[in-house]
Amino acid sequence: MLLELSEEHKEHLAFLPQVDSAVVAEFGRIAVEFLRRGANPKIYEGAARKLNVSSDTVQHGVEGLTYLLTESSKLMLYLDNRKEIRTILSELAPSLPSYHNLEWRLDVQLASRSLRQQIKPAVTIKLHLNQNGDHNTKVLQTDPATLLHLVQQLEQALEEMKTNHCRRVVRNIK
Amino acid sequence: MELSESVQKGFQMLADPRSFDSNAFTLLLRAAFQSLLDAQADEAVLDHPDLKHIDPVVLKHCHAAAATYILEAGKHRADKSTLSTYLEDCKFDRERIELFCTEYQNNKNSLEILLGSIGRSLPHITDVSWRLEYQIKNTDSPSYPEISFSCSMEQLQDLVGKLKDASKSLERATQL
Repeated sequence: MLLELSEEHKEHLAFLPQVDSAVVAEFGRIAVEFLRRGANPKIYEGAARKLNVSSDTVQHGVEGLTYLLTESSKLMLYLDNRKEIRTILSELAPSLPSYHNLEWRLDVQLASRSLRQQIKPAVTIKLHLNQNGDHNTKVLQTDPATLLHLVQQLEQALEEMKTNHCRRVVRNIK
Repeated sequence: MELSESVQKGFQMLADPRSFDSNAFTLLLRAAFQSLLDAQADEAVLDHPDLKHIDPVVLKHCHAAAATYILEAGKHRADKSTLSTYLEDCKFDRERIELFCTEYQNNKNSLEILLGSIGRSLPHITDVSWRLEYQIKNTDSPSYPEISFSCSMEQLQDLVGKLKDASKSLERATQL
């Protein structure tokens, strides 16, 4: 990741390479003072006279340098903490829980308070899911006809993965 | 089957041709089944011109008695002989017993479905939808309905395998 400066910004800093290092050092000092206590027009005027440039040039130079300093320190902060920042960001983005396991059980309801002598088959399912390291389970039920329908639908999904179209995509996009 | 005195009294009135002529009897019986089985039914079910001459208190009492009895009979899966015995005890004549049993037989299935659907159960899966996604990068996910989860191809094979085991087990159980 590089620092990007605007054209205007680059212009403001353009004159710095043309002066000697002592001057640049002085500018650096003024820039830090600027950060600490804000602008001081008297100092700009003084510097402008000494360098034989306009005070606008000096002001732009100081501001440009200040901006460069703050952007650099932001980048330094990011680089130092990159791993942690990326982890936090990935946790903030909503993610789907993922499949872990499925347990099932066959049940037959023989009677209820409202109706005696029944034969009502049901399939009870415990779905184990993982999300962000958390394990949670959902207990669900379905009837035999829907179970067959579920198997049929999901087998279609598996079949779809074997088609040329899907194979081509998986092969060519890495 | 436990039935209260109120139900018995209601049926005794229904048995009496002086309170309910043949036509009124049939209408009230149909109204009782309708109240129980028709989701849209309301009080208007008793608003028939041929029932207007009957005292509304009596009408309501008999309607409630019939409905109560029908539910009890349905709950216990009463057969024709059980019904006949009770109705005879309430002084129903042969014709009315036949009418009642026929009407009951016609509505038996719907009644059992209604009674069987009452009760608590786990969340019931009704359908599944799937989507194949080759994830290149993360984008904002849209909101998903109900339970959604992602799985890899191996995980999907595992899931389908287990559901197939369940359905095979179900098949074997039905052949026992």
